[in-house]
Amino acid sequence: MNRKWICWTAAAAFALVVVGCSKNQSQTTGEEQSAASSAAKKTVDMSTVGSVSGVVKLDGTAPKFKPINMSADPYCVKANSKPAFPDQVVVGDGNTLANVVVYVKTGAEDYSFPTPSESVTLDQKDCMYTPHIVALMVGQQLSVVNSDDTTHNIHPTPADNREWNKSQPPKAAAITDTFARPEVAIPVKCNVHPWMKGYIAVMANPYYAITDKDGKFELKNLPPGTYTIEAWQEKYGVVDQTVTIGPKESKTSDFTFKAQ
Amino acid sequence: MPELPPDDPIKSRSYANWILIAVFVLLLCVTWSFYAEFIGLRPWRSYQRRFASSYSVYLQKQLRARRAAEKTVYSSPDYQKLSTTLRQAEAVAKPQDAAIQQQIALIDQQRAAVLPAFQEDRSLVGSLIYDYEIVPSTASYRSEKQSKLKEMQEAKAKTYTVDWPEADGKTVEKKLNYDQLNDTFNQLLDQKAQLTAKEGDTDKPVKDAQDAMAKYAGDKLPGLNSAQLQGLLNTVQSMDVSLIQINVNPPGHEINDVGGVGLTDRCQSCHVGMDPKYIPTSLTLTKTDLGLQKSKDAPFTSHPDTQLLQWHPLDKFGCSPCHGGNGRALDSVETAHGRYEHWLWPLYYPENYDAGCQQCHSADAWTEHAPVLSEAKILFRERGCIGCHNYAGFDPQGQQLQDTVREIASLEKEKADDNQTIPQLNKAGDQAPDNATAQKLYAQATDLTVNVSKIDARVEQLDELSHSLQQEVKRIAPDLKEVRMKLNPNWIPYWLGHTWQFDPSTKMPQFRLEPDEVQAISAFIWQQGLKGPALEKQPGGDAANGKAMFDSLGCLACHSIGEGTQKIGGDIAANLSRVGEKADYDYIVRWIHNPRVRTEPYCPYEHKDIGPADYAKHNLPYVFDVEHSKCPNDGHELVVEQATIMPDFRLSWQEARDIASYLMTQKDSSAHYDQASFINDTNLYAKGKTLVEHYGCAGCHEISGLEDAARIGTELTTEGSKPIGRFDYALLYTKAQEGILPDGKKDPRGSWYDLKGFFDQKLANPEVFDEGRYKPNPMDRLHMPKPNIDREQINALASFLLGSTESTLPPSYQYAPTDQRKYIQQGWWIVTKYNCIGCHQIDIGQKTVLMGLPMYQADNSINLPPVLTSEGARVNPEWLKRFLANPSLSTTDEDRNGVRSYLKVRMPTFFLSDDEIRKLVLFFGALSSQQEPFIPQKLAPLTDQERLVARAIFTSPAAPCLKCHATGNAAHDKNATAPNFLLAGERLRSPWTVRWITEPATIIPGTAMPSGLFVRRDARWVFNGPLPAAAQQYKGDEADLLVRYLLQLTPQEQAMLSGRTPSAPKSGSSRAKK
Repeated sequence: MNRKWICWTAAAAFALVVVGCSKNQSQTTGEEQSAASSAAKKTVDMSTVGSVSGVVKLDGTAPKFKPINMSADPYCVKANSKPAFPDQVVVGDGNTLANVVVYVKTGAEDYSFPTPSESVTLDQKDCMYTPHIVALMVGQQLSVVNSDDTTHNIHPTPADNREWNKSQPPKAAAITDTFARPEVAIPVKCNVHPWMKGYIAVMANPYYAITDKDGKFELKNLPPGTYTIEAWQEKYGVVDQTVTIGPKESKTSDFTFKAQ
Repeated sequence: MPELPPDDPIKSRSYANWILIAVFVLLLCVTWSFYAEFIGLRPWRSYQRRFASSYSVYLQKQLRARRAAEKTVYSSPDYQKLSTTLRQAEAVAKPQDAAIQQQIALIDQQRAAVLPAFQEDRSLVGSLIYDYEIVPSTASYRSEKQSKLKEMQEAKAKTYTVDWPEADGKTVEKKLNYDQLNDTFNQLLDQKAQLTAKEGDTDKPVKDAQDAMAKYAGDKLPGLNSAQLQGLLNTVQSMDVSLIQINVNPPGHEINDVGGVGLTDRCQSCHVGMDPKYIPTSLTLTKTDLGLQKSKDAPFTSHPDTQLLQWHPLDKFGCSPCHGGNGRALDSVETAHGRYEHWLWPLYYPENYDAGCQQCHSADAWTEHAPVLSEAKILFRERGCIGCHNYAGFDPQGQQLQDTVREIASLEKEKADDNQTIPQLNKAGDQAPDNATAQKLYAQATDLTVNVSKIDARVEQLDELSHSLQQEVKRIAPDLKEVRMKLNPNWIPYWLGHTWQFDPSTKMPQFRLEPDEVQAISAFIWQQGLKGPALEKQPGGDAANGKAMFDSLGCLACHSIGEGTQKIGGDIAANLSRVGEKADYDYIVRWIHNPRVRTEPYCPYEHKDIGPADYAKHNLPYVFDVEHSKCPNDGHELVVEQATIMPDFRLSWQEARDIASYLMTQKDSSAHYDQASFINDTNLYAKGKTLVEHYGCAGCHEISGLEDAARIGTELTTEGSKPIGRFDYALLYTKAQEGILPDGKKDPRGSWYDLKGFFDQKLANPEVFDEGRYKPNPMDRLHMPKPNIDREQINALASFLLGSTESTLPPSYQYAPTDQRKYIQQGWWIVTKYNCIGCHQIDIGQKTVLMGLPMYQADNSINLPPVLTSEGARVNPEWLKRFLANPSLSTTDEDRNGVRSYLKVRMPTFFLSDDEIRKLVLFFGALSSQQEPFIPQKLAPLTDQERLVARAIFTSPAAPCLKCHATGNAAHDKNATAPNFLLAGERLRSPWTVRWITEPATIIPGTAMPSGLFVRRDARWVFNGPLPAAAQQYKGDEADLLVRYLLQLTPQEQAMLSGRTPSAPKSGSSRAKK
């Protein structure tokens, strides 16, 4: 009986060691591979690029929102002469949908893109995030400014990136940071003003756009190829489409979200 | 003729002679064995027989005397009168008792008659009530419910016939229903209870008379009465000569379970008198009592300390666990006493008896009924033994502090490593090939971040702990970092070479130093001293006033002054007779003003002194004290105080200058010190350092660079368990065995080749063990210096070491109480450490240093500090905490006593750590068996009538309270000898105060507070003096009333009664520090 147990335990231990070792090995090879592939990435040939454009619409009626109650902070009440409404679903004439991130999800992995040197600004103005959604590339600098005469805290709650939470008094210097991993999209909140909600979309490539009230978007400078283009909306989720473009080709691709 | 057969060996050879010899041998053996069995090997048999006979003679003599005495007393007129009173009382009580008994008997009969019917009816009605109750109350059951109700009511109405006995003996037939039965039964019970109470009242005069007779006889004839003596005599005469054995066994075994491990103790087989069965504890028998004063071996006396036997019952402890010896052995006195080479625990000699306490009482600093051991433990610390020798439990704070600092350092290192790793992990996460790996790395980084914060929390705790420990770590000798400010450099080499010539009573032992060693050590110490910042220059003071203050403040509780027979004062601190020859005036002024002031704080974390430059670097003022103890460089705790036990007397600078001026006059003006030109010779530095380390100077002194030096001596915790072979007698081995002492005299004990002999000689003069050895280099000699202790102190320390054994007893025998006694055990360490007992009596019977001084004799004893034997019951522990932290009870007016402002002797500030204060408060509470935590009794406010009565008592000429008690009025308080009542409210516990004002002498015998202010009358205290008619109407307890009045006294009320302006004694007083 005893001996049997010993045998089993030994076998289990051996198995663990083997698994441990092999895992380690696969990890190192994985790293080597990624290093190798990044070295082999192509640059985009600007003479053959095309584009994808289109309109994002909502199928159905947008929900009605109540005005935000900002009475918790008198400054915010004063700053908004007209009542402010949540930015969760914003539609234009003809049910065009604003605040949708449209981006190339797959298809551009083989290209390398320089990290843009200019920073993207997220402003806290009249106790709301302006814009509601910012998009930037991996490694690109985000600059958070506070235009209000009240203290905010900026608290991104990412799934893949690192979480942080910093306080920003009025007139304080901009808070800058970068995000290392693509993520669409990181919710941002202010714990002082709980109605404040915004998003930071971190992109792996420069092919992204955020729709305006007219719902229009355009992804420029796409090298020829087949892409999965995804539209992301904070409430309605994602819609994917596959688009193939040839050299110097411009395609149209519209997205429709179903109202729930 | 037939040929004769050859000689038949059977016939021709005889073994008769051999057989005869064998018979004799056999006979001899048998005789010898019988002798050995009954006489030789069993000396205890004859001891027991001798005990029985001599004790019987003693008892018979006692019995005769007692009987005669009893006869005289019983026939005395007084006793006869009491006897008559008893007879009369009995005559009165007897008929009444008889009548009552008769009535009770009748009631019992009546109850017996009623009982069967009552019980039957009660159970019947009870069951019918239940039947009724379980029928539902709904409409459909209404008729059934009605019928059950009727049935029950009928049963209640039904009558039972009872044969009722009447007083005249007749029996009457009674018809009783349920309610009547019930009432009758209860009435009978009441009547019986009343009659029983009445019977007690009738018997009271009889009982009183009996008590009076017993008390009279007891007063006239103390001790055992004739019946008890007769009983003892019978026991002794029928004593069966037999082995008496006790087994000391670990828990789980019966006390006398032979199979248990532990110890077998047969000592009582010879020492028969120890058993209270034979000699009761109320009898203390000596050899003379038994008529055996001339006998050399008469081990029959009773134990001289019956209290010790009560704490350590013989059947649980036996004798040898405390006294040593071989408890098993019976064949001779030598073996039983363990005084032979193969027994490791010989019987202690009488002068070392206290050694036996140590193995179980090692956690005590002060052991009751063990004065020698308690004294030894104080000496062990005070004489600096602890500077070189580790001993478990003694001054653990130094080691704890070092451990704490080490832990802080390792945590800081861990924190730095973490802080370095965190960004690396985050970076690796950013670059990870997939999100899962990235998350894992980020999580690791987050864990480390949290860990850093946990480290910070732990470091904070450790800093707090080290703050406390630094307040607790004390060194027995002066801080040598300050030699350049304090000492005359020429004096240092003289002191090292002639320590005892300069101060014959110094604690500093005499080291065996060669002249070149003295020079090197002096030079090292001097060069290692702090070179600044310079001391403030002090103007001169009034030496006459300084002497008056020195004599009255309480300095002499620790310091001594005068030499030889002129010497007075305590030994825990230096003799100051020649301090003027060595010390710097400015330094002494600073020292007296506050001895805890350091010139520079020391950072144990950085291992260096922190000077003004370090503070300036961080833009911080050069301020460091108990409240400002963080290192400017690293934020950790600094050593901000001198590690001296000398407290702060809260004197003004002028007072400090006066005392210093007086001390500077204390010198031998003819003394001359040679110029110590070598003291600045840097070539001597290295050699001096080696020597200072070699001799372990840093064990007692604080020396730059050697703050963390380890103790250089042998650990002594279990020194008494070492076999004798491990003690190095060197060339004295033979002399020791032959009993020739190092001084050539004969050892009265015959041999000193045992632990006692070694310890005695080593403590007297360690040098003797180097005698005759070839040690050309002085540093090869034994390190141990000669301690400055007298014969008695040598004996105390030797007892302590003899008792320092690995206990042979089960661990449960260790004295490690978990109840209140634990606080007492802990508290004594602090009380002895700070020499509280130099001024205060804490243990009943304990003498203080001050009590022995000439200025406190006779009437002047009123000027002594308060006796603290009942402190825990007296004061509110919250108040005591505040008082111990600041005995002036003020933040603005500290140059005074907070409570007894009238006393010249002053309670100084000890800067105790929070933990020490907590332990002291618990200690005093536990000494007086006070509950923890303290919840004050609510004091009922006084009604107007009560206030009138209380005022009448308070101002009565029969209770001149304000004659002695201070009021805060300076003119009045000049003659005050007791505290201000205004303090009482927050300071005193009311139950104690009631006991105090009624019977103060039972709390503190010899107190100035008079007894008899109140008398006990009808279970209440009544004021023992004339009161106005209006006040005489008061029916409550007057002592209680006065206490309520005093504890709620307001300044206005006191001022009104004393006819003076009020002046609060508490904080807020405007008298600024001089």
